[in-house]
Amino acid sequence: MLVGVACPVGAQGLPSEPLVFADGRAVISGDVSLTASCSHAEGESACTGDTGFFNYSDYDHSTLRMARFGVTASVRINSHISALADLRIENTTARPYGAYVRIHPFIDRDFDIQAGRIPWTFGAFSRHSYSTDNPLIGYPLAYQYLTSLRPDALPLAPEDLFRMRGRGWLSSFPVGNSTPDSGMPLADAFRWDSGVQAHGTVGWFEGAASFTTGSLAHPLFLDDNDGKHLAGRAAARPLAGLVIGVSVSRAPYVTTAAAAAAHADARDFTQKVAGADVEFSRDHYLVRFETVWSAYDLPTIAPRLEASGTYLEGRYKLTPRIFVAARADHLGFNTITGTVRSLTWEAPVTRWEVGGGYAVLRNLQLRTTFQHNARDGGRIRKQTALAGQLLYWF
Amino acid sequence: MHKRFSFRRAFLAALGLAAVAVPAYGPVDAARNGAITGHVELTRPPVAVGRRPGVTDLGTPTLQPMAEPQMSVVYLEVAPRGAFEQTDTTRAVMDQRNETFVPHVLAITTGTTVEFPNSDRIYHNVFSLSKTRPFDLGRYAVGRSKSIRFDRPGVVRVFCDIHSHMSAFILVFSHPFFSVTDPAGRYRIDNVPPGTYTLVAWNEGVTSESRQVVVSDAGLTETDFSLR
Repeated sequence: MLVGVACPVGAQGLPSEPLVFADGRAVISGDVSLTASCSHAEGESACTGDTGFFNYSDYDHSTLRMARFGVTASVRINSHISALADLRIENTTARPYGAYVRIHPFIDRDFDIQAGRIPWTFGAFSRHSYSTDNPLIGYPLAYQYLTSLRPDALPLAPEDLFRMRGRGWLSSFPVGNSTPDSGMPLADAFRWDSGVQAHGTVGWFEGAASFTTGSLAHPLFLDDNDGKHLAGRAAARPLAGLVIGVSVSRAPYVTTAAAAAAHADARDFTQKVAGADVEFSRDHYLVRFETVWSAYDLPTIAPRLEASGTYLEGRYKLTPRIFVAARADHLGFNTITGTVRSLTWEAPVTRWEVGGGYAVLRNLQLRTTFQHNARDGGRIRKQTALAGQLLYWF
Repeated sequence: MHKRFSFRRAFLAALGLAAVAVPAYGPVDAARNGAITGHVELTRPPVAVGRRPGVTDLGTPTLQPMAEPQMSVVYLEVAPRGAFEQTDTTRAVMDQRNETFVPHVLAITTGTTVEFPNSDRIYHNVFSLSKTRPFDLGRYAVGRSKSIRFDRPGVVRVFCDIHSHMSAFILVFSHPFFSVTDPAGRYRIDNVPPGTYTLVAWNEGVTSESRQVVVSDAGLTETDFSLR
């Protein structure tokens, strides 16, 4: 009689746990996020797309208007070797983000070697880039905002950079590839580099080092300049819930062809990056701070170009289902002198974003954020956006 | 034939039918009370729970499969009259150890306070979105414990907000006539007043067809279940 009033527990019909095969040797998980937004740029009518290109991660994709489907898989070959892969489809573009082998040589030690298209060594946000780990919908500027610098085209003089201020979504320079294309962020959170990485933990210290083909700003599957990307990270966990990390990275960031067009060697164009990050969480709140400083050697222009991105973000759970979050973010650049003026070589950007989420199910969230962007250059200097996101994962 | 069902509904229905339940239950009848015992066989594959692949992590040994939950719960669908008059408050423990809730299945009576100690070196964040008792204990470190009192009957699915592979069940009954099986699948419900009852077995959200059992004076009634 009581069973007669029953209904299925699993009525949602979609998996809520990772799919497990072969006695646990193979595990597949996934996440889906559907993001829509309505932007309002200064001087334009309400509810347009991201006409200021503040949230574009490349020429085609705005992080505020995106349908993303990600699948991650791991296969444990034996107790020492695993294969892992991460495929993401953003709108209609499929990208193999990661595909690598993880070797765990010592059963009783926390030490791994990873080879293939591997996760970032540098920084903290690069490992928070899944929608579930990002408390907001937008991304930190240092990891997403496109500066005008390109790997395949070079400015000859400061005026070339001044002309492109605030136009990183589609920039062009006189040397190298003359076709307009999108520039590079300080660190690209949307693609991974290829190479070898070692990682180990001793007590509450953690260290990682990698040797890969691209650069932090321009990760690659195949090398395009015969230079190598060296990166390292050290982190400490002195207290439960507290992580303090520092990272460094160094790599040539332009193609051999672009360097040759400037009558230089690709190794003369080096991106040197340093970063620091802190995360603290307790009870119902989580706070993260991260700063990324990047210097670009550019033989044709002096002094060298510098940029820094810094953000502070926090999340607080009001109830088991509801959380609120906020981020303050700034991207700044050093000043260089041209023939008639001195300016920052790119237009500084300040962004703040506030929002919240509601957990319909444990693995189904609705989120909304309000974002404000201000830029000291470019055609559109102020833009606000209201975004909504549906997020499902298993 | 086996059916999946909503525990909250079933428990509430059980609570509602209690008013017409027979026979009476109370200390005065204790000498006549009997017991129900038996075995729950799980013929369906165990529910495999895996960690989400740590693809974005710097190397982490996250690929070991989790322990297979095998414990079942057998309970009276309709309890004897008077069974709900017990007001004793008790405490129970659900530990967090090696990124696992221990035990994976906890059966308690209403009014019980459950402690959730953290016995790991890392943070955990116990929470539940169950309508029976939604809660979020926040993040806390090793050596600390937080507790929640469960006052409504139903099923509470428990998770960790940090480690998505951690999950557990708390079954909250408004009467004491239930038993969690041992590792071999055996159960025993003691102190059942003589009478006819409906018995149900549960495992990981799947319930058996209900069974009619007759408990005689001070007798032992055996009933086995097979869950597919």
